[in-house]
Amino acid sequence: MDPLAASLKIASAGLAAQSTRLRVVSENMANAFSTGKTPGAEPYQRKTVSFASELDRASGTTLVKVSSIGVDSSPFNVEHDPGNRAADAKGDVKLPNVNMLVELADMREANRAYEADLQVMKQVRDLASMTVDLLKGSL
Amino acid sequence: MEPMYLFSLVSLQQEWLSSRQSLVAQNIANANSPGYQTADLVPFSKVLDKSALLMSGQDPSHIRTSLLDVHSVGDRRAETWETSHSGNSVSLENEMIKSGEIRGAFSLGAGVLKAFHSMWLSSLKG
Repeated sequence: MDPLAASLKIASAGLAAQSTRLRVVSENMANAFSTGKTPGAEPYQRKTVSFASELDRASGTTLVKVSSIGVDSSPFNVEHDPGNRAADAKGDVKLPNVNMLVELADMREANRAYEADLQVMKQVRDLASMTVDLLKGSL
Repeated sequence: MEPMYLFSLVSLQQEWLSSRQSLVAQNIANANSPGYQTADLVPFSKVLDKSALLMSGQDPSHIRTSLLDVHSVGDRRAETWETSHSGNSVSLENEMIKSGEIRGAFSLGAGVLKAFHSMWLSSLKG
């Protein structure tokens, strides 16, 4: 496989992986206050995403894929709010274990990696057009 | 050695640069994969040293060795800038620098090729 075409394939695998990560971040942020419906019920549990490199036999290169979307098993935040429908007998409500700062940092990092992948695509396009330009003006 | 050695030299260099670009893409795509080690090609000068010893065959597709094969992909563990806690040694900044180098070298090669090609054409057309 042509290395430049392989680069585009790798970069698009990177874009797909990073956008999955952004999707998970947005799920976590949107559900930052999703409590359970019944008294004492478990709230939304934060999701985590992990990547793994994967050998692509067609091109002999290493792509990237989302290896698993798991859940964060850290303890829930507990708040005293007896009026809430999810409050238990003592009036405590379990809130999701989502930390906005962590999610924002994760979003920034996904953003940075996404931009780097886009930069690769731009560069590959430029290299290909430089080669095509060799024919320009000489015929 | 053929008189217009330059054309094959530039084309070999473009091939090396494209392969290197594909490794840069690979490193960037795996910038967040735990345990991934940065990969890079062996320097072009080493490729030149080796290419003189390549066997020649009847059909080029028989003995064609790709620049992207296992032997030419060097593992540059010593040259990585940072290794994160997950064991990943990709530095996006370093990859961007490499990307810039590739771009510069590629455009230089293309420029040289263009100049020599037009020289050739002018001798043909008169």
